[in-house]
Amino acid sequence: MTEFGWVLKGRCYKLGHDVPHPGGVIPNRLITAREMDPQKLIPHLFEETDPGFHERAKAGDIIVAGRNFGMGPKVNGYIAMQAIGLGIVCESMPFLAYRAAIGCGVRVLTDCFNVTELCDTGDELEVDFQTGQFINRTRDIHKEYPPLPETLQEIVALGGNTGWLKRWWQQQNAPQP
Amino acid sequence: MADTEHAVGMTAVEKILARASGVADVKPGEIVYPVPDFIVIHDGVVTAAKRELDALGITRLADPDKVVMVTDHDVLYTNELAVKRGAFNRRAAREWGVKQFFDAGQGGHGHIFPMEQGMVTPGTLYFDNDRHCTNVGGIGAAAFRVGTEISRVLATGTNWIMVPKTVRLNITGRLQSGVYARDLGFHIARQLRYGSADGGFGIDIDYRVLEFAGELEQFNLAARVSLCSTPTEMRAIGVFFPPSDQIIDYAKARAARPFTPMFSDPDASYEARIDLDVSTLEPQVALPGAPHNAANLSSVAGTRIDHAFIGSCGSGMWDDLQLAASYLKGQKVAPGVRLLIVPGSEQSTRRMLRDGLMQIFIEAGAFVLPAGCGPCASGRTGLVHSGEVSISTAVGNGAGRFGAKDAELFLGSPATVAASAVRGCITDPRTVVAFHELH
Repeated sequence: MTEFGWVLKGRCYKLGHDVPHPGGVIPNRLITAREMDPQKLIPHLFEETDPGFHERAKAGDIIVAGRNFGMGPKVNGYIAMQAIGLGIVCESMPFLAYRAAIGCGVRVLTDCFNVTELCDTGDELEVDFQTGQFINRTRDIHKEYPPLPETLQEIVALGGNTGWLKRWWQQQNAPQP
Repeated sequence: MADTEHAVGMTAVEKILARASGVADVKPGEIVYPVPDFIVIHDGVVTAAKRELDALGITRLADPDKVVMVTDHDVLYTNELAVKRGAFNRRAAREWGVKQFFDAGQGGHGHIFPMEQGMVTPGTLYFDNDRHCTNVGGIGAAAFRVGTEISRVLATGTNWIMVPKTVRLNITGRLQSGVYARDLGFHIARQLRYGSADGGFGIDIDYRVLEFAGELEQFNLAARVSLCSTPTEMRAIGVFFPPSDQIIDYAKARAARPFTPMFSDPDASYEARIDLDVSTLEPQVALPGAPHNAANLSSVAGTRIDHAFIGSCGSGMWDDLQLAASYLKGQKVAPGVRLLIVPGSEQSTRRMLRDGLMQIFIEAGAFVLPAGCGPCASGRTGLVHSGEVSISTAVGNGAGRFGAKDAELFLGSPATVAASAVRGCITDPRTVVAFHELH
């Protein structure tokens, strides 16, 4: 777990409150089609609200959202975010959306009070998802937020539910000492 | 001090979680790994779970005897993809060694028939991929939705659950004649949606258990199951009713294994306690858009309809069918209206035949679909056209839920939908002849 990059350094991409997963994060047709292939999902991330997002997004960039981010507990948008290497810092998200993000291996912080007032799109951010430390380099703001619960860190570090299962299966089949 | 072996008072759902997790007690916010009594996966998601596990080389499940595969989302195979999915699911059941495989035309709705068959009893805990598993709170059980992470449950036998907080909803008064559990459900959804300044409960129900208390004897099992539906749409992770003696007897008569009903301790800790007087509630509808758009039916009475549907996990129990039949007996569905009846289980379909309900529905001009979700499952059967108006007992009525995005989807109780289908417009069930014969 030590090699996992818990700290993301990148640009802020700020969203408002109540951004739903279907439509707001990724088109609903990909959700109902149960599309799970990251390469097919990436070109459509934030397509309906910010066309061309996927061309500008880089690994390490951080989505900063307001309250109630990602309503609709589906995984498709998080699969794309994990594949690009994006993180999420939000004021709140429905618990099952939070669970879906963790299950996809997305570095995520929730319950970050008023975080949308501390940054704007394009700011240089540095966030440690293991400790909850949030730094806005552009504005020299430092904040501490609740970190990802320790027991769930392993899932994210292994790349999500599938990565966790892969490691579990390897351990099951490892020769007994 | 409560009469309990636990040091701290717990809610019934906390006790069920503690029992399944092998610990003395649990507290909200803790992460536990419950070992479920069984695991339910529906026909729409077997493909993704099987492919994920196959790609990892995981070909054996933790306990195939605990796995229940249900077919309710796409029973009729209305397209080529569905035919392929059905074939895939049959192969998956064989390869996994799942004996409790309910193929198309068997079992019925996965949130209904396991209660009728005694798989789910008071105190049961299971994992499900689908969020409407909360239905089983009606019988005093707890089920947890894990979505695509059902793969981890299948492979390892468990998954993490963060113990939810509980909100207690104390019901006072009795529903008037002609006002049913679904009406109350829409009303509760509206209260859950809004803050206290706007006349709502002013609480956050996200990932909470809504525990009913108070004057609950007026609600039979079907009514309780109905009342589990709308809080789930409002993002409750669970709904719970303390099982009545009648419900415990019902469960005993069919239980697949011994069970222990669970009840909340008197000193259990609740995030909020709310009182709700139901005695003055009128019949409700949910206006198009969401189940929380509850309004007095009288505000839209007379609205012409094209489509009506009775069923779904919100109103698919035997009593719901019987209620609808009582409003359709000797009546005809209005010209220009399509009425679809979707029983919750194949057992109900057979009983409809035995008890005369099938004849009532068919003679009224309704058509009866195989047991399952019907139109409510992402719109695969019995859809609506652009500009049409529907009233149904579906669990949701967001734009495009079953057909054209610009169709208007109203929700109502089985009585309201049946009465409306006969009149051809949204109708207060208390204004039709059948109501006066019933009461």
